[in-house]
Amino acid sequence: MNLLLRSATIIDSTSPYHLKQIDILIKNGIIDLIDKKISSDSKVREMDCKGLLVSPGWFDMYACFCDPGYEYKEDINSGSLAAAAGGFTGVAVLPDTIPALHSKSEIEYVLNKAKGNLIDVYPIGAITRKCEGQELAEIYDMHHAGAIAFSDAGNPVSDSGVMMRALQYAKLFNGVIFSHPDDVNVSHGGTMNEGVTSTNLGLKGIPSLAEELMVVRDIYLAEYTQSRVHFSMISTARSVELIRAAKKKGVNVTCGVSSIHLMFSDNELNEFDSNFKLNPPLRTKDDIAALKAGLKDGTIDVIISAHTPQNAELKEVEFDYADFGAINLQTSFALANSSVGKNIGAEGLVEKFSVNPRKILGIKIPSVNIGHEANLTVFSMEDEFIFAQEKNYSKSNNTSLFGKKFSGSVKAVINNNQFSEVKK
Amino acid sequence: MSSLSVKHLLGIKYLNADDIELIFKTADSFKEVINRPIKRVPTLRDTTIVNLFFENSTRTRISFELAEKRLSADIVNFSASSSSVSKGETLIDTVNNILAMKVDMVVMRHPAPGAGVFLSKHIEASIVNAGDGTHEHPTQALLDAFSIREKLGGLKGKKICIVGDIRHSRVALSNIFCLKKMGAEVMLVGPPTLMPTYIESLGVKVEYNLKRALEWCDVANVLRIQLERQDIKYFPSLREYALYFGINKPLLDSLKKEIVIMHPGPINRGVEITSEVADSNHSIILDQVENGLAIRMAVLYLLSGRKEN
Repeated sequence: MNLLLRSATIIDSTSPYHLKQIDILIKNGIIDLIDKKISSDSKVREMDCKGLLVSPGWFDMYACFCDPGYEYKEDINSGSLAAAAGGFTGVAVLPDTIPALHSKSEIEYVLNKAKGNLIDVYPIGAITRKCEGQELAEIYDMHHAGAIAFSDAGNPVSDSGVMMRALQYAKLFNGVIFSHPDDVNVSHGGTMNEGVTSTNLGLKGIPSLAEELMVVRDIYLAEYTQSRVHFSMISTARSVELIRAAKKKGVNVTCGVSSIHLMFSDNELNEFDSNFKLNPPLRTKDDIAALKAGLKDGTIDVIISAHTPQNAELKEVEFDYADFGAINLQTSFALANSSVGKNIGAEGLVEKFSVNPRKILGIKIPSVNIGHEANLTVFSMEDEFIFAQEKNYSKSNNTSLFGKKFSGSVKAVINNNQFSEVKK
Repeated sequence: MSSLSVKHLLGIKYLNADDIELIFKTADSFKEVINRPIKRVPTLRDTTIVNLFFENSTRTRISFELAEKRLSADIVNFSASSSSVSKGETLIDTVNNILAMKVDMVVMRHPAPGAGVFLSKHIEASIVNAGDGTHEHPTQALLDAFSIREKLGGLKGKKICIVGDIRHSRVALSNIFCLKKMGAEVMLVGPPTLMPTYIESLGVKVEYNLKRALEWCDVANVLRIQLERQDIKYFPSLREYALYFGINKPLLDSLKKEIVIMHPGPINRGVEITSEVADSNHSIILDQVENGLAIRMAVLYLLSGRKEN
């Protein structure tokens, strides 16, 4: 693939061309030249990038591709297409499949199936067998097979002893264990944030406390085991506070937030919209303000999509019976940019979307520099984005964002010697 | 004003005070009708109403059915336990199948909160919520408020205390919305585990001492302990509950004033209320039942959009 990006503004603090508006010539997937006014060649495809930004390709650290087992919701191919359209060149996929990604063979299946894709798909192995929180899965073997991290997806590891041993065991290879902080005895059957809205709607609430108790526990476990905990997504003001204090103390914890939780509060549920039934639940405006502050001061490391496809049969039902989750790969950047773009700026967004996820997972961070592989995302923070249903690449439609307008749009992704332009 | 601001009765929170007043006025005339020797009016002739009950109900279902009959509507009854529905057909499919037979209105009871709101986004017919999980039970709240208005001459400034399992009660929630809209004061009393954490955001007082609450109020609306809706234990035993939150004659006699006792039924006699109290002249429990019929006739009539009476 040969490509010339004209007049792009580079956002990459590791590159000597950082913040420069310049031409980038890519030959056979490698950045061949970065210079002002590179002369055109009829054999090279050109893309006008005036007013657009180019950064190292983005990485989503928490998406569900549902493959194997739930291919009717999503598969590695459709998930990859949605990810590319959302600006991602890399995705870490969750293990709550059937069978779960809990042994070497499932890890290899994902890696093999994703081979040759534009986007790099990194399987996250299960911490415990079937993500059930009981018995440790073969973590070390999965690590050797290519599992990038370990998580029980939307299930917390409720047994503190199991979590402790997982953290100790992962020290064999400096692995990172994801925590989904939820004390199920406190959240007990809840369907939305416990608060004024849930009281009005008569819906069973999930107290912030359910998350915070587990954040505290896993901070203590990280400290005790001297191992690495990554909270895959936090949603409450108190969680931000707890993690801020833990980081200050030097405990090895990192955390993410989903872009949906940055944009929407539990007020969205007033009409019982099951597409906003999420785990963790949407919280209050105060929580959103705290999450934004946490992103700004570095307490929160990454922004994730938490892309969770569900078929209509599991969503277009009474709220109590609906499953949790929403698709978000194609909307994640627009939501994040609309909510915190002005607050953390282009460099902040690139850090949360591209640099930090790879740092946490130990993946080489692409650089926008001559001689490096072209692993790039071309985007705009100003352009308007409307998520059209006919442009939805996911197999599932569980989102309430179709037709809604946001600021910030993805123009193209480049990776593995492939180029994909996002059509308006 | 002669029509409601809403197309469905999904909950009290979607009504305004004028709507509630209109329902009361309409119910006043229907109450007169049901006490006539000939209790039937032709108002809803040629209107077909389906009663969809996805959750067990005796009195609400009978009350609706009778209200429909008194209005000369045609009736279809559908009952299913939620388990048999979860085996196969979805709610939307079930309802659309019935509506395909040209049914005009739907009265629905359902175990899931918001089921009525959900259904209203998928069908054209008017929906009356006859109780949706722990969300709302609007006709119950209307008949409760109507009964207080009848007994005390109005609602404004009246002090109503709701006793018992607030957490699992759609009756409590709808009552709170209705009484607040009509200018009454509301206090809730019950064990703290049965009190939603954020309930005070609805503008109500919370009290844990039954006697203090009864001293404060003009009316005590005593809720049924919803054992069937409690998946975990919220209090140690029914015995202990009855001891500290049950209303008995000596307790009422110890108050400095007479208060009115209400109960939405069915009563767990000896648990939240003793037989002596339920059958005493404090109690307006059977008036509530009669008023329920008038209220439901009023609601069905007003939602049908029929102008003539």
